[in-house]
Amino acid sequence: MALPQTAPPGLRPLLVAALLFAAASARAEEPAPQPVPRPAPTVISPPTSAEAGDASLSPECRVPGSQLYTLAKLRAVKAALKEKRPVRVLSIGGISAGLGASATYPVKLETALERSLPDVDVEVEARGLQGEIASGAAERLRSMVAELEPDLVVWQVGTHDALARVELSAFSDALDDTVRWIKSHDIDVVLVDPQYTASLADDAYYNDVVRTVREIAAREHVPLVQRYEAMRYLAGRADKGEGHMLGRQFRLNDLGLRCMAEHVTRAITLSLLQQEGGSREAPAQQAGQPAPSR
Amino acid sequence: MRDPNAIDFWRGLALVTIFINHVPGNTFERYTYSQYGISDAAELFVFLAGWSIGIATRGRDGHPEPRGRTVIRLLSRTIEVYRAQLTVMLLALATIAGTALVLDNPLILEWHNAGTFFADPIQTIVGVALLTHQLGFFNILPLYVVLLGIAPVFVLIARESRTAALVFSGGLYLLSLIEEWNLPSWPGEGDWFFNPLCWQFLLVLGFVLQDWNRESDTLARWSRRLMPAGVALVLFGIALAVLEIRPDPLRVPEPRLLFTFDKTYLTPARLIHFLGVLLAFRAVYGFLAPRIGPVAGYLARLGRNSLAVFSMGSLLSLGGQLLRFWTGGGLLIDLTILCLGLLAMGFTAWFVEWRSRKPRPRV
Repeated sequence: MALPQTAPPGLRPLLVAALLFAAASARAEEPAPQPVPRPAPTVISPPTSAEAGDASLSPECRVPGSQLYTLAKLRAVKAALKEKRPVRVLSIGGISAGLGASATYPVKLETALERSLPDVDVEVEARGLQGEIASGAAERLRSMVAELEPDLVVWQVGTHDALARVELSAFSDALDDTVRWIKSHDIDVVLVDPQYTASLADDAYYNDVVRTVREIAAREHVPLVQRYEAMRYLAGRADKGEGHMLGRQFRLNDLGLRCMAEHVTRAITLSLLQQEGGSREAPAQQAGQPAPSR
Repeated sequence: MRDPNAIDFWRGLALVTIFINHVPGNTFERYTYSQYGISDAAELFVFLAGWSIGIATRGRDGHPEPRGRTVIRLLSRTIEVYRAQLTVMLLALATIAGTALVLDNPLILEWHNAGTFFADPIQTIVGVALLTHQLGFFNILPLYVVLLGIAPVFVLIARESRTAALVFSGGLYLLSLIEEWNLPSWPGEGDWFFNPLCWQFLLVLGFVLQDWNRESDTLARWSRRLMPAGVALVLFGIALAVLEIRPDPLRVPEPRLLFTFDKTYLTPARLIHFLGVLLAFRAVYGFLAPRIGPVAGYLARLGRNSLAVFSMGSLLSLGGQLLRFWTGGGLLIDLTILCLGLLAMGFTAWFVEWRSRKPRPRV
């Protein structure tokens, strides 16, 4: 659990309490196809459980926090919460939540966010972004943001550019520009980096794309959902699940899509809590630091 | 087969440009004219489609064909384009799925909106048939289907009054910009990439201008006079594109679509820039054609068979994208993709013409 480690000691009890609350509320996040085990008491001691899966997530999606997210402030969402108005979220990227999933990713995201932020109305609008941000799609994104004027943009970014193998510097510049543009209009951003799959594990270019997303999230101080790391973690676990007719990588991919709403929700909730806990002394921007467990 | 002419030539050029631009990140992308202006090849393609409708719905003597025949002609073309879209979609999805299997890489399934199809084929196959589910880079034909489908309305109105057709079409365009009307995507949220309610205006403009041009030389005279203005607009467009200057959609006044450079809605800036391009380049074909004979012949042949060439071009550019991904790209790969693509598009055009010349085999 990354959060309390960076908090000033005096704030720790407060944060642990907040975390407990978050864990308790997040427990109800998923409609849970199979009975979810009662929340394990290990959540109470987050600093030492860094390598254990985050128990607030459903078992199949459980990844240690350090490998799942880096946190940063979400001022616009916070303001919406304070004003007690609905939080408008624009989700950009694929909408699939895996083969035969009960609901699409945006629907899952809305449900999960509303469960973990009780008494808050969350409105998720989703848009697919066709094309590469390095060649034109970033413009399209600006139009979408202008059209919907959300409080928060959750952006799955990098896959299309990686598949097109666009120039890394062009990708990096376009991403940085766009994130900065969104922030300049007092809209929050959460970035989600590309998925992990074994056949690309040694692909230097693909890894560079993932690294670029991470660097820009750190530079621009926006929360990042480390989908790549999370999936690699899940891939490394003993594979006891049912097989996939197309092979292990396809099953893993499916799992990644299923878990994404939960993972994104977790990063958003904790980013909000982090703010609450450290409003005066502001815990160091986690995003800029290497995750503690690596 | 008709001889090479300006319309087919420019359409051929638009087809080649679209093919290159649909392999994003490739070396040659930066040498297409789309990179140097506000509007791009899509505008050219749709405008010329409108211009061609004007030619196709009249006899050689300029007399309009009977209304019923015009309606049937456009309906038949609509069906042809719809059929092409379904075929292309099937082959594109199969190519994506096949590549994902061969490379053992499920990420490829997420290729530009294809993920929805593979995760939820039950709803999505309905969306494919309704044209409300589109893949990235495969969204021009759905636009074209709708435009051809509604074209009879405008063609028949224009028979009575060109002004009425233009006012009706322009009114719909403006209203869609102000009210942000668009056709919905389904499954999934969002709208069409090419908004037919806006793009119809360019088709009607092409049609009406062709009609006007046929009747009097006023248009020709004026476009000659306005050529310097066109050149100025083109230069201005180049400057904006190179310096990456464009309005911030969150800072422009409402209704914001009147002021932004949005492709989906074919915003006025794109339209004006495109008209500038038309004015600036109207005489270029006459100058160029005798000097680049074989190239002009090649491009005109592509333009004459634009539906088949466009369909093949879309699939070839998808193939090019996947090849770039698989091999890691590079100048040699890009050059291979370009050459194979140009050859294959040329062959497609030749093949379509060869087949239409031969009597059909009786099998």
